Amino acid sequence: MFTKDRLITSLFLLLSLVLVGHFVYFCIGWNVFVSLSDWKGLAPSYNIVGFDQYLRLFHDPVFLTSLKNNLILILLFVPGTLFLGLFLAILLDLKVRGEGVFRGIYLLPFALSFVVTATLWAWMYNLKIGVINTLLGKTGLEFLKSGWITDPNIALYCVVLALIWQFAGYTMLIFLAGIRSIPESQIRAAEVDGASGFNLYRRVVIPQLKAPALSAFVVLMVFALKAFDFIFVLTDGGPGYRTYVLALMMFRWTFSKNEFAYGAAIATILFLLALVIVVPYLYLSFRREKE
Amino acid sequence: MRSPKPRRVILYILLVFSVFLFLLPLWACITTSFKTVKDLIYTTPVEPPLSPTVAPLITAFNIMVRPLLNSFTFTVAAMILSCLLGSINGYILTKIKFRGSNIVFLFFTIGIFIPYQAVLVPLVLTMSKLGLYNQIGGLILAHTAYGIPITTLLFRNFYGLIPDSVIMAAKTDGAGTWTIYRRIVLPLSLLPFVVAAVFQFTSIWNDFLFGVVLARGSEVQPASVALANLKGTTEFQWNVQMAGTLWYALPVLVIYLILAKYLIRGYMAGAVKG
Repeated sequence: MFTKDRLITSLFLLLSLVLVGHFVYFCIGWNVFVSLSDWKGLAPSYNIVGFDQYLRLFHDPVFLTSLKNNLILILLFVPGTLFLGLFLAILLDLKVRGEGVFRGIYLLPFALSFVVTATLWAWMYNLKIGVINTLLGKTGLEFLKSGWITDPNIALYCVVLALIWQFAGYTMLIFLAGIRSIPESQIRAAEVDGASGFNLYRRVVIPQLKAPALSAFVVLMVFALKAFDFIFVLTDGGPGYRTYVLALMMFRWTFSKNEFAYGAAIATILFLLALVIVVPYLYLSFRREKE
Repeated sequence: MRSPKPRRVILYILLVFSVFLFLLPLWACITTSFKTVKDLIYTTPVEPPLSPTVAPLITAFNIMVRPLLNSFTFTVAAMILSCLLGSINGYILTKIKFRGSNIVFLFFTIGIFIPYQAVLVPLVLTMSKLGLYNQIGGLILAHTAYGIPITTLLFRNFYGLIPDSVIMAAKTDGAGTWTIYRRIVLPLSLLPFVVAAVFQFTSIWNDFLFGVVLARGSEVQPASVALANLKGTTEFQWNVQMAGTLWYALPVLVIYLILAKYLIRGYMAGAVKG
């Protein structure tokens, strides 16, 4: 029976399907198509040349540097954020007075725009009158002063540090919820067995945080792959190409150099890398939901 | 009087030290926004200004006011549209049994995780074709479309908690699907609407990527893009830059202060910024 009511709901669902279908799926396909062409310059060209752009990428030092930097981001930012978040969650779980206030403060950076946090950290890292260097000067730690994001040797690590600062509150939130969902009886039982303090967390609590750790891990990994705004505003990839990442290179080559096919190829690689992380995760969570 | 255990003291020292680290950048931003150029040199960023001034805030406001209004316009519009569509999708996916509903849900969910770089070039082409490039309408359309996956997830989670018996009762009274949505589901949806709206407002307001590819340098450019430009042009006027940052962050800070609890529910449901 197809009533007027049914028609209205169906039309709304159809609208959503068309929007997501076009802007997500069709656009991804279109982007792959562009990446197989030779489109360079402002006028679109759909002259298909196959995998030329991809072959070019693997000989491009900027691409290899960007890929390496994304990898460093994954290796440092992801575990760093997970550990700091876990640490803060455990601290807050120790029956802290004013827990809500602490939680609210640690999570605050995560709510802010990357453009805001990047501007804040530009001021933190500023060489001459910035926050960190003047604080070091005031506290007699003059010798620790540094160019930070302008120093080619440590610029990338400065980016990582600031990103951990922004995301740690998020992992704290996820872990704290995980800890709180462990049945009280299990904690009691372990305490009767003589576990306390650090041991209690290591033996009883942390092993039960696999599910929240996995979901936070996926979110952080995908972010580490697609990181763009923060780096664009803070360092713009500099000094040199020291903080270049794939998403930034994609943007620069596409929208500054009009190398549309080349940029599309970088975007396709980013997409495939994200799929490697997301698909197994979605598969797992859908199976869990069915059970 | 019992003295506190040394371990508790260490705990609170760690917590307070963390508060210092987490708030330092924001504190330095606030103090700097009220400083004269002279104070910038004679005080460190963590110290309050010697002679407080609102001049940087006024300068920054004059630069940012138009972009802030732009951001406000498309953020509110796309927030409302994506919440409405997400609500209807969530209702359909939980309360109307149809074949392939799991596939439809997966279809939406994947959209949450894709890196937007993978759609940027076609996105720009689409908007040019529709005549929406460098238009507020283009930003509204993009943020609505890419907001649907997450709002659908949020509403679906919530509507899963409404007992089917409520819907069945209305059905036996002869109400159709749309009537049930309007008369029964929608009035029960205040909470998910607040959660989804708060989440959508902050993430659309915070967006930079869509703004920079769809409306950079135009009349309708968002505040995020204007702030990034300000950073590029006022190299040494850190007070103006920090004041601009403060203006742009203000709506989110206010929302965070009043509605953090709802934003947290969004984060917990897997709604994460792009």
